[in-house]
Amino acid sequence: MLRRLKYWMESARRSEVLREEIELHLEEKAAELQAEGMTPERARDEARRRFGNVGRKQEESREIWMTRFLSELGQDLRYGFRTMAANKAFSALAVLLLALGIGANTAIYSLMESILTRSLPVADPDSLVVLNWDSPPPFNARKEWVHVVHGVQGILWPGDKGNMVSGMFPYAAFETLREDNPAFSTLFGYFNGRNHTLSIHGQAASASAEYVTGDYFRGLEVSPAAGRLVNSEDDRAGAAPVAVISFVTSQNRFGGAPNAIGQSVLVNNIPFTVIGVAPPEFFGVDPAAAPDIYLPMHTNSLVDGSEAAHMYDNGNFYWIEMMGRLRPGVSIAQAQAALAPRFHQWVATTATTDGERAKLPKLILSPGSGGLGSLRRKYSKPLYVLLMMAGLILAITCANIANLQLARASARRREMAVRLSLGAGRLRVVRQLVTESVMLASLGGAFGVLFAIWGVRSLALLLSNGQENFARHVELNWNVLGVTAALSVVCGLLFGLAPAIQSTRPGVMSALKNDHGGGPRRRAQHALVVAQIAISFLILVAAGLFVRTLNKLESVQLGYARENILLFSLDARQAGHRDPEITTFYADLRKRFEAIPGVSSATLSQSAIINADHAGTSYRGPMKIGGVTIQGASVLVAGPRFLTTMQIPILAGREIDDRDQPGSTPVAVISERLARTYFGGENPVGGRITFVDEKRDLEIVGVSGNLQYGALKEESPMTVFTAVSQVSPEGMTFALRTAGDPLTYVKSVHEIARDADSRIPVTNVITQAAEIDRTINRELTFAKLCTGFAVLALLIASMGLYGTVSYNVAREVGEIGIRMALGAQRGAVVWMVLRRVLLLAGLGLAISVPVALSASHLVKSFLFETQPNDPETLVVAGVVLVCAAILAGYAPARRASRMDPLAALRHE
Amino acid sequence: MGRKPQKNDSLPGSLDMLILRTLSRRDLHGYGIVQFIQQSSDNQLLVEEGSLYPALQRLELNGWIDGVWGMTSNNRRARIYKITAAGRKQLAVETRQYAKLTLAIARVMGGG
Repeated sequence: MLRRLKYWMESARRSEVLREEIELHLEEKAAELQAEGMTPERARDEARRRFGNVGRKQEESREIWMTRFLSELGQDLRYGFRTMAANKAFSALAVLLLALGIGANTAIYSLMESILTRSLPVADPDSLVVLNWDSPPPFNARKEWVHVVHGVQGILWPGDKGNMVSGMFPYAAFETLREDNPAFSTLFGYFNGRNHTLSIHGQAASASAEYVTGDYFRGLEVSPAAGRLVNSEDDRAGAAPVAVISFVTSQNRFGGAPNAIGQSVLVNNIPFTVIGVAPPEFFGVDPAAAPDIYLPMHTNSLVDGSEAAHMYDNGNFYWIEMMGRLRPGVSIAQAQAALAPRFHQWVATTATTDGERAKLPKLILSPGSGGLGSLRRKYSKPLYVLLMMAGLILAITCANIANLQLARASARRREMAVRLSLGAGRLRVVRQLVTESVMLASLGGAFGVLFAIWGVRSLALLLSNGQENFARHVELNWNVLGVTAALSVVCGLLFGLAPAIQSTRPGVMSALKNDHGGGPRRRAQHALVVAQIAISFLILVAAGLFVRTLNKLESVQLGYARENILLFSLDARQAGHRDPEITTFYADLRKRFEAIPGVSSATLSQSAIINADHAGTSYRGPMKIGGVTIQGASVLVAGPRFLTTMQIPILAGREIDDRDQPGSTPVAVISERLARTYFGGENPVGGRITFVDEKRDLEIVGVSGNLQYGALKEESPMTVFTAVSQVSPEGMTFALRTAGDPLTYVKSVHEIARDADSRIPVTNVITQAAEIDRTINRELTFAKLCTGFAVLALLIASMGLYGTVSYNVAREVGEIGIRMALGAQRGAVVWMVLRRVLLLAGLGLAISVPVALSASHLVKSFLFETQPNDPETLVVAGVVLVCAAILAGYAPARRASRMDPLAALRHE
Repeated sequence: MGRKPQKNDSLPGSLDMLILRTLSRRDLHGYGIVQFIQQSSDNQLLVEEGSLYPALQRLELNGWIDGVWGMTSNNRRARIYKITAAGRKQLAVETRQYAKLTLAIARVMGGG
């Protein structure tokens, strides 16, 4: 077969050789004829005549290789199908297992491919560069924030050694870097405007907005699907407000890209003119998002209020993100060398103290072909872990099928021996067997793709955690299908080659006479079973760790109700409501929601008690009680009946209610731990708490139970509730306590909101229970998937064990018969068989436990209050595995012990 | 279960056998083989020249002969064929079969 492959590859050279050979032949023939007295011309003709049709002969010679290969392949395939059809159960099982294994790998790989490695759909993505900075940890020894970054609007993420990394910059940094840039042909900026209310023809809906500088589309080299894109003329203070919308938005809201051009829309109640539609495949620069609308950077002061204008002047407020397009021939390293000193020089001028000067951020350029790295940062590790698991499952599957093939090979031993003795080449027989395996694997792969199509969607859904935009660009593509096909062939080779070589081993001639297999095959079988057990144990341990983590998370004391609460968001400010009317508007709305039959209480808060995406805005500055600064407390701006609705116990005083009005005494309710820490045994009601930055004194009117405010994984902070009515409110999260399923009240909520103000869309409608699950989505997903994987692994490994033990028992019928005839008890026979099972399981564990101990550190960051080598998990996994092994081994053991010794001996 | 190699039509397998036999004496290029067979059979056996090259390809494919570039006696570049160990085995098989066949034919003819 190798020769033939080589021939294929060299086929062009080969026919050249053949032509030369025939030419030489003709010349020699002609020379001979000439020597016999013919004229040179006649001799040449005669030589040609005698040879026959040169072209055809050449063709024939070539075809010998080709047709032989093809016809043999056809033969092998036909024979393979016959063999598969003859062993329907085996084939179906193998194909099913392979489909699961290959499908799982394909799905996960496809997800990785689309969110980790795919390039942005723009021209020449490789010349794009993302600008980030990296700085030493911002806190000083007293845990106070000392850093040139005084405020941010966006995400900071941890770098190495506690460093702080981010892609946000002050606007002045953008301007400084943009001027006469030697490395970039364009430098453009953008920032995620989050959700805005987009009203089109009076229909309001929530839309994600991206603010972009004038060079954004030019830098990305994107051409519009209709109209024109934002340019630098549009991005000036005072320019006419224009917008570019996404292709999807144009389809959904205007019924087509051309219809949208020139239309007027309202963004947070500010009129904009649609000038263009982005191309269908374009989703901005962040694969995690797909903005619905692109607005010129400077329009943010129109949309987000006048404070937004100050962002441009503040050199210590970090908000704009940047990408550059490298000039031709400039490398990232060169660009970095050119720009880092310039940034350093600039950022040094913004530092006001020595503490700030000591840890200035450093500019870092990284490749921008894949867009921003938020998805990569968030998902690369989980996906690698999942891929590893799926890979292990596939390995078990292959080991298992190899084992089944080995067992079958013994049944086909005679067949092989007959074939070999009839003169079939060993390679030919091996090839036949491998063809069969690859066929099985390919069939498995084909079904695997179907499974993967479903799997990719469910996985994307699981991981997207309710973000609509997440799964938009996830799909199977040719690249992925190619990998799947390769994987199938590799699997086929993996589980087919060893048994094939084994069963055609020279010396099998004895098999013609003697039906009993030799030792090497048994050893191979045992090795495969041990491998399956070892891998299963790894997967079991991982599943155990993730399930334990989930249990720990679910048993976290929330301090508030989980069930029967409906959450949704409204933003009246985006629809044009202003102080002081907005406070009354929210208060009335709350009362109307509370009046819905079946709703026992309704409340609202500026930041949700638990929020999967980001905490809302509330006071973050220092607070004092007496002269003492409070450490580790968070503020939750809440409306009336918040504690009642959330079922947080009121331990003293009262909760915030309708008595608390804009003009009345500012009030606060504090949590029990805060009360105990700063008031000791005294009653805090009537005491005061000071918000230093706002220069406000609040009267403490009540004490609540402790609650897990924010995320589940963090230590519960001390909480200060303040009244919504006494601040200038933004968007609100409402909570209704309902009788029965909260989602049945959604319709009434929409009706009331539309009636109150049709310009305000109701967003983020979800039950509290689902919202809590969203915060632990990764753990939930991991626990579910890994439990599935573990069950599958255990099942496959048990099957493998069962098969091997049954096979061994069948082979040892004689020995068992003799033992029984000599008086061995049934129990002894069962034990004899089970002993071997336990030995195999023990061997598997002996290999696997050290591996598990060292490998479990890989998933340390996914665990919560669980140690990577949690002894309990290891023990449970071991026990489960041994039980499964005993179960798998018991049936054949029992069968062996029920054998009639006489029949067994006669069999021999 | 390998398919039997395709036989030459006139006398089954005779061309393959003749080539193998020829190459078992000395390494030769295509034209040399034709000439050798012709000469050693006193011009009784004329190899159909067009069938030679497909036969050589077939033999090489089966691993019975090996072609390498070399020089002919009059210093021309040519593919020189050698018989392989497998080829010698095959030659033995074919010789035996051929002997059986001729013996059988002889018996029939003699008995007639």
